Amino acid sequence: MSEPNPNLTYVGKPARNVDGIDKAMGRARYVADMRVPGMLHAAALYSTQPHARIVALDVGPALAMPGVAAAVTAGDFVDQGRWGWPIKDTHMLAFERVRCVGDAIAAVAAETREQARQAVRAIKLELEALPGVFDPAEALEPGAPPIPEKPSEHGAHAGKWNLAETLIVRNGDPDLILDECDIVLDETYTFGHQEHAYLETEAALAIPHADGSLTVYNNCQSPFIARGHLVTVLGLPEDKIQVIQAAVGGGFGGKDDAVYKISGQAAALALKTGRPVLLTLTREESIVTSYKRQASAIRLRIGMDADGRLRAARANLLVDSGAYASVTPLVGWRASMHAAGAYRYEAVHVDTDVVYTNNGYSGAFRGFGNIQAGAAIEQAIDELAERAGIDPIDFRLKNALRPGDRAMTGNVIAHEIGLSACLEWVRAASDWDRKRAEYLPSPPSPLSHKGRGGIRRGIGAACYFHGSSLGAEGADYAGCTVTIENDYGVTLTAGLTDIGQGSRTVYTLIAAEALGVRPARIKVLRPDTETMIESGPTSASRATLVGGNAMRAAGLKLDRLLRWAAADLFHCAPAQVIRDGEHYVGPAEEPARFEAVVDHARALGLTLSASAKWGVPGFKWDFETGAGQPYFCYVFGAQVAEVEVNIDTGETRVLGVWAAHDGGTIIFPQGAAGQMFGGIAQGIGYALMEDIRFDRGYLHDVNFDNYLIPTAADLPDIQGHYVETNFPHGPHGAKNLAEPVMIGAAPAIANALYQATGRRYRHIPVTLERVRLGYDLTRPGSERTCRAALGFGE
Amino acid sequence: MKIEFTLNGAPVTVEAPARTTLLALLRDYLNLTGAKEGCGVGECGACSVLLDGQLVNSCLALAPEAHGGEVITIEGIHAPDGGPNDLQIALVDYGAVQCGYCTPGMVMAAEALLMRNLNPTRAEIRAALAGNLCRCTGYVQIIDAIEAVARERRTHHGEHGEHGEHGER
Ligand code: FES
Ligand code: FES
Repeated sequence: MSEPNPNLTYVGKPARNVDGIDKAMGRARYVADMRVPGMLHAAALYSTQPHARIVALDVGPALAMPGVAAAVTAGDFVDQGRWGWPIKDTHMLAFERVRCVGDAIAAVAAETREQARQAVRAIKLELEALPGVFDPAEALEPGAPPIPEKPSEHGAHAGKWNLAETLIVRNGDPDLILDECDIVLDETYTFGHQEHAYLETEAALAIPHADGSLTVYNNCQSPFIARGHLVTVLGLPEDKIQVIQAAVGGGFGGKDDAVYKISGQAAALALKTGRPVLLTLTREESIVTSYKRQASAIRLRIGMDADGRLRAARANLLVDSGAYASVTPLVGWRASMHAAGAYRYEAVHVDTDVVYTNNGYSGAFRGFGNIQAGAAIEQAIDELAERAGIDPIDFRLKNALRPGDRAMTGNVIAHEIGLSACLEWVRAASDWDRKRAEYLPSPPSPLSHKGRGGIRRGIGAACYFHGSSLGAEGADYAGCTVTIENDYGVTLTAGLTDIGQGSRTVYTLIAAEALGVRPARIKVLRPDTETMIESGPTSASRATLVGGNAMRAAGLKLDRLLRWAAADLFHCAPAQVIRDGEHYVGPAEEPARFEAVVDHARALGLTLSASAKWGVPGFKWDFETGAGQPYFCYVFGAQVAEVEVNIDTGETRVLGVWAAHDGGTIIFPQGAAGQMFGGIAQGIGYALMEDIRFDRGYLHDVNFDNYLIPTAADLPDIQGHYVETNFPHGPHGAKNLAEPVMIGAAPAIANALYQATGRRYRHIPVTLERVRLGYDLTRPGSERTCRAALGFGE
Repeated sequence: MKIEFTLNGAPVTVEAPARTTLLALLRDYLNLTGAKEGCGVGECGACSVLLDGQLVNSCLALAPEAHGGEVITIEGIHAPDGGPNDLQIALVDYGAVQCGYCTPGMVMAAEALLMRNLNPTRAEIRAALAGNLCRCTGYVQIIDAIEAVARERRTHHGEHGEHGEHGER
């Protein structure tokens, strides 16, 4: 999908995922595949009520069950197991109250998983129902039942109970301008909850050691963050807890808090029993108890001139965090930073409320708030283009950010911007102009009339921008090490991890390029808090940009040492040494093998191991004033989707998706393509079918028989393209792509559906019933479904 | 109860309760962890194995159903030298393996398809994979890889006999 750079040997060239063969042969070891002598199996008791006081909890009967070794509750942790970041508002096991269906209450370890499950059912639990709140707007009304343990402590919302966080953008004064505008759109776009549906459920294996220390294997995204929370709740010092990340069967942002929680439960049981404890979740437990993508409502007021020039925007976001904040305050921040899209404005204000309810809980998920923000603004832009009487792609091109423009947050974007090039590519590749004319115009499709609508087609576009890396969300750095081993193999450690997205291969290619050795010589060690450099969270698609820079720096340090050694060997200056494949060549044109240079370097007493840290250059966002620079760079992209709708059944087929992404240089082409295709597939699922609907706090869809994600038969072929703009700060010019490539699909599909049906749905997902009937059929969640899902079936 | 069957070409005998699923038998009794549990209800295909040549979800099959039969798991799919076969290599070369959790099941589903149809259209490949969920890849590269392997196997068909080893048969 892109032209390889002739100056690079490994970066940007076809490569193999370094773990691919093991995985394809079934040899990769995931946590649930691990077997340790003496290992116990754990299971947990979960709340089947959305909000209740724990009146009585007695694990005694469970302990009397066959095979049971121990049980733990909140009291088995330091400070009742209170943890959470950025708000410490949750517990490893519920304390005094349960705040959502699926809240873990107690955990049991037994000889077999079956025995542990039986024992859980024997636990004596008495819950007293408390009034719940399930509508984020109602949660903010006076007298609403309080969800957290205490009111907010800081910021404009201090003292408010269910308001977890407020976030603002203040760029100019949009109200004055909106009053002057010829055309002002004022619409609200809403979004359901989405489940990550990583194919591997959460799992942790905690192994206690005789000296009181503990090793935890889990499938979390960020082993250091896991260790930090374990230190908090177990009261052990950092050097007594080792966290090792096993192969991870998909993350997408979902394997942070959910995995830390079960790691804490398994660890407490391991410490109590002195035996290894494996805790894995069933799919039903995973779906009911894990966090989701936030349901949200986004009201946009956007003004433009009669000729279609955008002038000002005002956005109000209401974000449902559910029972716990998790990282939703940061998700709300990222959503706020993107709410008016990748366009030029004179003024923009954003006001975001992150609210507690009893609807499960929400947290990190690929796109991190810009999925909702991007889908809202891109539907709105389509509506504005129509009101201006301009083709949707022309309208976007007219208003799109160009280098040197100020983003909606007021900061100037100085680096190259490939947005217009992306729009032009998708326009040409999708045959946009012809199809757009051919399918236009559609009168609104009939609703609730049988057999009148027939088959209709539509094509829609969307574009996006996405701030790279963490931005002002947190300290943004990563560390890597590169070591030459005795067998001349090269081992790498990276503080940012591979959760299936291919970072281990990206690191291998970057290190191979820096050191001038074949990737086959390189091995990436398993992420382990004992051997790697603390690097903060693996999130925000920063593994390539931030981790890659650190890996390149470490590799180059080692390369310099080896060049000195080669120069010494050849009796020449280091600058005279050139490389021919892995060989070093001196002025006398005598080649030396890599091994010979390594031997000579060792003989010189050089340490053939290097580490490096790389931190994102400084910039600042002021949360109080809502102004500053939120990110140090952005990526851009555009997507077109073509749909075919059966008006009589409501069934929508996506016939094609064309996607162009400006993420700087592509390092691992097959990996990048896979991220793009996979992200778009998740976006198609989000657009049309994926919806965890909480009904008074209860779920309806608890496994893949009801929660449908796209199958191979549901999806089209996807055409992808990279616009590789120049970006001097990334490793070989790379930025990022894993998350943002998902943003465009849902709004492009919604806009295509508008062309096909003549209806604006303004809600994601646009389910079959919405297309057919204009509303969603109620699929009532029920206590019965949830009880069965959590092990209390008949 | 005692369950006897052929597993990846070798006879095995296992003592397990009659209600044990075939997946649990493989993973917990025989320590073959290549087949994965993704849903436990027959929806995701991560647990796919071949039972008497048919693709089955081993989480739904009960272990006694394998009695007297022939089971091939991902551990039985490899080249004659024990390394990866052409399909496994192609999946990696095409970038079709990300987290890899679906991959063993995908390999089984693809082998099952290629056993009966060495000239599948992309639509036929999509249909054959419809019972195997992948959350990472969007399936495009998986389909590309299978298409390429089918092409290769067609070319070599008759020259070297069947390509890609299935157990010791
Ligand atoms: S685990 Fe068997 S089909 Fe999902
Ligand atoms: S590669 Fe992750 S589920 Fe398929």
